[in-house]
Amino acid sequence: MNKPSGQQLVVEDLHLAYGSNPILQGVSMTLHPGEVVALLGASGSGKTTLLRSVAGLEHPNRGRIVIGSTVLYDGAAGVDLPVERRNLGLVFQSYALWPHKTVFENVAYGLRLRRTNATEAEKRVREALGNLGLAHLAERLPHQLSGGQQQRVAIARALVYNPPVVLMDEPLSNLDAKLREEARAWLRELIVRLHLSALVVTHDQTEAMAMADKILLLNAGRIEQQGTPEEMYNRPRTQFTAEFMGSNNHIPGTVAQLADGRALLEGEGWRLWGMAYEGLKLGASATAVIRLERTRIAADPGENRLHTALVTGMFLGDRRENLFELGKLRLRCYGDVPDGACYLELPAGDLWIFPDATPADRLPEVDKAEQSLAESGGKVEQAAVPSD
Amino acid sequence: MKTGAFSLPRTSVVAITALVIFLPLGLIFWQSLLNAPFFNPAHRYGLSAYAFIFEDPDFWSAFGNSILIATGMVLIALPLGAALAFLLTRTDLPAQRWIEVMVLIPVFVSPMVLAFGYVVAMGPVGFYSVWARSLFEDVPWNIYSLPSIAVIAGLTHVPHVYLYSSAALKSLGSDVEEAARVAGANPIRVAIDVSLPMTMPALLYAAVLVFFLGFELFGLPLVLGDPEGHLVLSTYLFKLTNKLGTPSYHLMAAVAVCIVAVTFPLVLLQRWLMRTAGKYVSVKGKATRQKLLPLGGWKWVALGLVALWLIFTIVVPISGIALRAFVEQWGEGIKLSEVLTLDNFRGVFESSEQVRAIINTLLIGVVGGALAVACYMAIGLAGHRQRGGVARILDYIVLIPRAIPGLLAGLAFLWIFLFVPGLKELRNSIFSVWLAYTVVWLAYGMRLISSALLQIGPELEESARTVGASGARVLKDVTVPLIRFGLLASWLLVFMIFEREYSTGVYLLTQGTEVIGSMLVSLWGAGAIDQVAALSLINIALVAVGLAVALRFGVRLHE
Repeated sequence: MNKPSGQQLVVEDLHLAYGSNPILQGVSMTLHPGEVVALLGASGSGKTTLLRSVAGLEHPNRGRIVIGSTVLYDGAAGVDLPVERRNLGLVFQSYALWPHKTVFENVAYGLRLRRTNATEAEKRVREALGNLGLAHLAERLPHQLSGGQQQRVAIARALVYNPPVVLMDEPLSNLDAKLREEARAWLRELIVRLHLSALVVTHDQTEAMAMADKILLLNAGRIEQQGTPEEMYNRPRTQFTAEFMGSNNHIPGTVAQLADGRALLEGEGWRLWGMAYEGLKLGASATAVIRLERTRIAADPGENRLHTALVTGMFLGDRRENLFELGKLRLRCYGDVPDGACYLELPAGDLWIFPDATPADRLPEVDKAEQSLAESGGKVEQAAVPSD
Repeated sequence: MKTGAFSLPRTSVVAITALVIFLPLGLIFWQSLLNAPFFNPAHRYGLSAYAFIFEDPDFWSAFGNSILIATGMVLIALPLGAALAFLLTRTDLPAQRWIEVMVLIPVFVSPMVLAFGYVVAMGPVGFYSVWARSLFEDVPWNIYSLPSIAVIAGLTHVPHVYLYSSAALKSLGSDVEEAARVAGANPIRVAIDVSLPMTMPALLYAAVLVFFLGFELFGLPLVLGDPEGHLVLSTYLFKLTNKLGTPSYHLMAAVAVCIVAVTFPLVLLQRWLMRTAGKYVSVKGKATRQKLLPLGGWKWVALGLVALWLIFTIVVPISGIALRAFVEQWGEGIKLSEVLTLDNFRGVFESSEQVRAIINTLLIGVVGGALAVACYMAIGLAGHRQRGGVARILDYIVLIPRAIPGLLAGLAFLWIFLFVPGLKELRNSIFSVWLAYTVVWLAYGMRLISSALLQIGPELEESARTVGASGARVLKDVTVPLIRFGLLASWLLVFMIFEREYSTGVYLLTQGTEVIGSMLVSLWGAGAIDQVAALSLINIALVAVGLAVALRFGVRLHE
């Protein structure tokens, strides 16, 4: 259980549709041994479907899924290995512990099916339970455990037979907020300590960044962008990625000037320089996006500074969040507001200016409201699936 | 709401409920400890009634038969019901929607009617028997034997098992099964290791239920057991009336106590099983769509078996009744075209008591059903969102009527109406039958009401409290309007149950209290086959109307 199993998971051009409703539209990805990849996306983006396709619980229409030299699915060759023969570990969002089996029996079940001899099985189950801090709970039934303990049993159950890849479907979403942060660090540590290869589905970008070596951002069944957490956060290639990965200020305006990869955005009583993204046209409307933490409070006027008025401030414990207004614009930023300060600096290097999509190809805008919708679990995603 | 826990309306609802349950039950117990009917001034306390029945070999043979039939029913209904539930919830069996509707029919058709149906269809000179004799020279079955009664009772109780096991299978999250697949189990292992053990509590519950129903079986053994003299406890009790010539109430009460001594522990066992089942409902799984198991060519085999069962339990008895209702007589060598007639119905409509029975049955179903639902609702609301005390008491006392077979409840109410001063005038009115029906079906009605009440999130009521509504206002303005549809559905279900009921009215039957169910028992006893056939068909038609309305409005036919 302590060595990377040395097999990589490759997904090639996977397509899946329910009737005429496309869920996955050509997804390709690679998961190297010992790596953690997060599938990130809003409800309905297809992230859970991708995970379940790898597990064999969904049946794609075309594409290929391979682990090492084993072909799990190949649409062209007509291969679709049954779930039970894929030898993967899957941690369900609901944990799906068998309520009639004790913790020990839950974890031992996979070994029993693999006809591991009793002594060896006992040793490995004890080891797995020990690794997860569950040694003292082996004889309990699932309903006697707390949510966090159930989650760890579900993980132990998925790890005990050394699957080449562990799949996790929103592993933290059933924990309450406080516990979730601790579990996040704990899970990352476990993955690193046991050298696991893991594919993790989540709708929470912080969770994805914290746990994963690589993030795949899915949008409507396609990969919007993939990369390390740093790349995804600091160098988004599209407005969708920029919006999804952090808390942002949005400033709609008109492009007034374009020079050396920079653009000047203009609005009522303000003009700002920023990094120009592809597709900007002079005189066309565009949106500037800047992370909240890159927005700074200043006392004096200057380059890329806006003269604003403080509306209100909120104390968040580790910092203060302030809301400023300028005409119709509402801008948020962190930090203390010294008396008399009424300027906001939006450094040109951190201000990304994206062309506004023409109505035809507008991407679904992900704002906080939609994210909180996504937090209600994969239910919305499931509801899109015809019920029979 | 602490202060409201013992408010006047709530306390009176609880008091009245307790009274209508404990008074008849207490009367039975008291009577069983006397050596003569309680209205006989010469009565003394003693165990002579028990001594008498325990020395009667008929009692022991009836007891043995009851156990045999109940056990046989479990052995037949449990595997078939579970298999049917599996076929209908987990496989791609064709015509599922039709089958799901058909399956429920035996639940709502009176067992008296069904039993009669088997007699005219498969009895020695039944339609199908005569037909079989013309084909094979002999009738390859005898429906009057004890095993036949068990088989018929078992097959007609398959729906009860089906209802509980299909509910359990539906609520079984697909995630626990998927988890087993991922861990390396093939679909058969999944069924053995996960699905079956997780539905086991529901199956056990259904087994206890069927055994219990078998123990209080009345209509089937009354009709089918008579020709060969097979008695079960309820028919033994029924026959006791005639055994000694005089009203032997003390003996009947002693038998009644023996029946309750068996059924009441079974009710408690059911309740305990229900509780343990709750433990198995762990973290609610995601309601992903269930992949249906493809049956391939086997689906026609499965469909054939289901069709055979439906033909035996529905088509055969009902077609028998339908035919018998339109012929003058039937037997060997009679040509159907020569005996067709409407006289049977004319006979029914010329008899004032049978016309009254039909009107009363309609009244008790429509008006009585509504009143019963109103009573159940009052009891439900009295215990609604109450913790401890009142709610706990209610919880248990509404279970008690479940343990008293309808025949006994009818008997106990007869005594009450005869001997409680001031009630004598009501004895000859349909009110007496309604009260007995309402008490007998209390546990069923309460399940309907409480499942409707469970749908309401507590925060809807709490928010009404916070805006300033009193507890009573909340019930009136929020709770009751929210369960409106549930109440209508309950009304419909109670209507069908009241149309179907027969045993409760048997002892209450007199001029003015006729209902079709008790009329059938009495006409059958008098050998008036023609009217029994016609009335049975009318009874089926009434239930069918209820069923059609229920299906039209998408009422769930089971809780």
